[in-house]
Amino acid sequence: MQLAMTTGMAYIVDDDAALRDAIPWLLRSRGIPCRAWESAEAFLADYSDEMSGCLILDLRMGGMTGSELHERLIERGCAMPVIFLTGHGDVPLAVKALKRGAFDFIEKPFNDNELADRVHEALQHEQNRRWQDGMKAAVLERLATLTEREREVMERILAGKLNKVIADELSIAMRTVEVHRAHIFEKMGVRSAVELAQRLSLLGPPGSR
Amino acid sequence: MTAPIPARPPATNSGQLWWWLPRVSILLFVAGIFALFWYLERSDREEKRTALISDMLWLEQNLRFVLHHNEDLLGRFDPQRIGQRETFQAHAAPVIASNSGVIQVRWLAPSGEQLDAYPPVSDDPLASSSAADMAAQRLAVSVAHAVYGPPYPVGNDWQFEVYVPIFHAGELAGIVVGVYSIRRLLADGVPWWIAERYQIAIADPSGQSLGQRSNITEIETDNAYQMPFDPPGHGLILHATSYRSATPMTGRVIMAGLAFLAALVLFSLWTLRRHVQGRLAAESALQNEVAFRKAMEDSVQTGLRARNLDGMITYVNPAFCRMVGWSPEELIGRLPPMPYWAEEYLDETRAMHAKVLAGQAPSNGFEIKLKRRNGEIFDALIIEAPLIDSQGRHTGWMGSVVDITERKRIAELARQQEERLQASARLITMGEMASSLAHELNQPLAAISSYATGCRNLIAAGAPQSEIDAAIAKCQEQAQRAGRIIRRIYEFVRRQEPKSEPCDIGLLLADLITLLDSDARRQRVRIQRDIAPNLPLLQADRILLGQALLNLMKNGIEAMGQTDEAARVLTVRAAQLADQVLISVIDRGCGIGPDTVSQLFEPFYTTKQEGLGVGLKICRSVVEAHHGRLWFEANPEGGTIFHIALPCNSQ
Repeated sequence: MQLAMTTGMAYIVDDDAALRDAIPWLLRSRGIPCRAWESAEAFLADYSDEMSGCLILDLRMGGMTGSELHERLIERGCAMPVIFLTGHGDVPLAVKALKRGAFDFIEKPFNDNELADRVHEALQHEQNRRWQDGMKAAVLERLATLTEREREVMERILAGKLNKVIADELSIAMRTVEVHRAHIFEKMGVRSAVELAQRLSLLGPPGSR
Repeated sequence: MTAPIPARPPATNSGQLWWWLPRVSILLFVAGIFALFWYLERSDREEKRTALISDMLWLEQNLRFVLHHNEDLLGRFDPQRIGQRETFQAHAAPVIASNSGVIQVRWLAPSGEQLDAYPPVSDDPLASSSAADMAAQRLAVSVAHAVYGPPYPVGNDWQFEVYVPIFHAGELAGIVVGVYSIRRLLADGVPWWIAERYQIAIADPSGQSLGQRSNITEIETDNAYQMPFDPPGHGLILHATSYRSATPMTGRVIMAGLAFLAALVLFSLWTLRRHVQGRLAAESALQNEVAFRKAMEDSVQTGLRARNLDGMITYVNPAFCRMVGWSPEELIGRLPPMPYWAEEYLDETRAMHAKVLAGQAPSNGFEIKLKRRNGEIFDALIIEAPLIDSQGRHTGWMGSVVDITERKRIAELARQQEERLQASARLITMGEMASSLAHELNQPLAAISSYATGCRNLIAAGAPQSEIDAAIAKCQEQAQRAGRIIRRIYEFVRRQEPKSEPCDIGLLLADLITLLDSDARRQRVRIQRDIAPNLPLLQADRILLGQALLNLMKNGIEAMGQTDEAARVLTVRAAQLADQVLISVIDRGCGIGPDTVSQLFEPFYTTKQEGLGVGLKICRSVVEAHHGRLWFEANPEGGTIFHIALPCNSQ
């Protein structure tokens, strides 16, 4: 059993006081920082886009239920992974939640470290997503600094065309192409065409750019 | 009562004719009477006129006769002798005295000169004769015959003269002049019986009256007659107007009487007509009413049947006939027993019939089994009411009969449905409770599990004991919480436990059998009671125990669905055995197969199509809650015996 440290926090919403105490206790024993709220309404009041980590929602609560809260958060553009805690007989509800994009659901009472493991995975997942989002943003930022001519040259480099061919196609000198190439690599922060292609693949298929 | 009501005759001319004929005939009769009167009147008038004319002819003849007679008298004057004054007077006086209208006689010489006059004229107004007189004189001489002169007024009278020439030996000897006073002529020449009837007048051609004879009475201008008065001629007219004769009183009285009677007849006819119209209106209203009621009786779904005081059927409506399947002809006139009485319930029906006839039928109706023609037994609700005729006499009974088979079946279905619903509702409640309890228990369990896992994680990481200790304390707390939830379940279950109160088992069984009576009858099952008297009181929850017993009995009744009808007997036995009361429910049904014996008390096991499979299980729980025992055995006569042994407090 590993105690891998992960960044990000577990946000717990449960109307049962004992669980608001017990679950954070368990997660902290695995090094996961936690905050707990006693109702969906209270959590919504405190929610901000800065939050990063994983949500643990009780499906059955007085007032707004876990799945309703999930819907609200999706409306507000929250992309954090959500783990639902369900009781006996809530499976259909949980399945619905999964279809809506929940990360997972766990039946109470939990087995051993099951909950903590799933939270850990969720946090990893979130971290990856955030890193990728960050990378994507950086690549886009660098792409924006390219001139029109550099962009034309870059497209041809990515298509695997040689400098000479590019020079012919664009009716410019070979030397000029080389200068552009150097500028492109510098601006995009890569050292080779392969690296450049990898960077751009983060943005998804070429058509979506 | 069942005679078909004739439809109202269409309003044809016959009704009108019926009214018009007397009216017209009365009018014709009155008209005839008046025509007769008018005819009589007219013939009377004709007669009067005829009489007037003949009287006038007679009068004229009479006057002419008088004038002729005077002419004769005057013509007979002897000219030889009348030269002397005395002799002339002797000649003339009788003429004057004969009351023939002559008031003066003159004697003229042939030259026209007056020689003598009688009575003598005091002054001589006539000395100078008018030209007309002269002409008349000359004419008289020339024709040698009496000639009359034109009339002339004298004072308020008129006179005329007659000139009679006298010849002697072929020579004109002179002229005798008779002076007539018209008034006098009328007075003398018109006899009293004519004067009484008519006003007689003589008028000149211009219509001016020259003199008249009249009694001053009213005259009838429409009955007059005139004829030329000739002689004397000169266009004189004899004019008669009859007096208004007093119509005879009797005639008037009869007329008035007849008019009054005719008016009376018309009036009585009018009142009769009003009366008849009123009656017709009432009759048509009655017909409409009858037709309406008939339509209503025929269209209602409620059967109606009337019986007289002997119990004989006097009337049935179509709905009743539809209900029982016999036609009105077959039913009306029948005396009990009726064809629609069910043989199986003959005694009850007879007793009820007698009760009805004695006027003791329950006013809110009674239920009874009746039989249809096809042998089907049905439940009817009958409400009997006394039939009172228009004189207020009690003539029989009217019963309204409602087929309540369907209603009862639906009620029964509803009741069963209700029972099943309640049973499933109980189950649902149990399910809900179980689910919410599971949820509630999940919370502390999840907490315990989290703490425990956390502790293990910390131990594995070598954390200080104090940290772990706190978590274990929290674990205990949550375990206690779970314990409290479990305790709540027990309490809930305990709340459902039976109350315990003294209960008379004999009475309870009697009530239950009454409750089941209709069910049993429907299934053709007789319930036999074998309940020992003076059973000791039990400590029991009457409702729960009743439910359990009822369930057993119903099972028994249902088990005999395939048994011969004669053998469908459910025996309910209760007896005291030492310190226990033993209740046995014995059926003659299909029995319990060996394969079901072991499962019979399992929850949700059922041999019935619509069973829920909780009945026997609940029965057993109830009996055990009363510290009793429930078991069953095969009935040696076929079927099953369920026993319940319950402890009784022999203190």
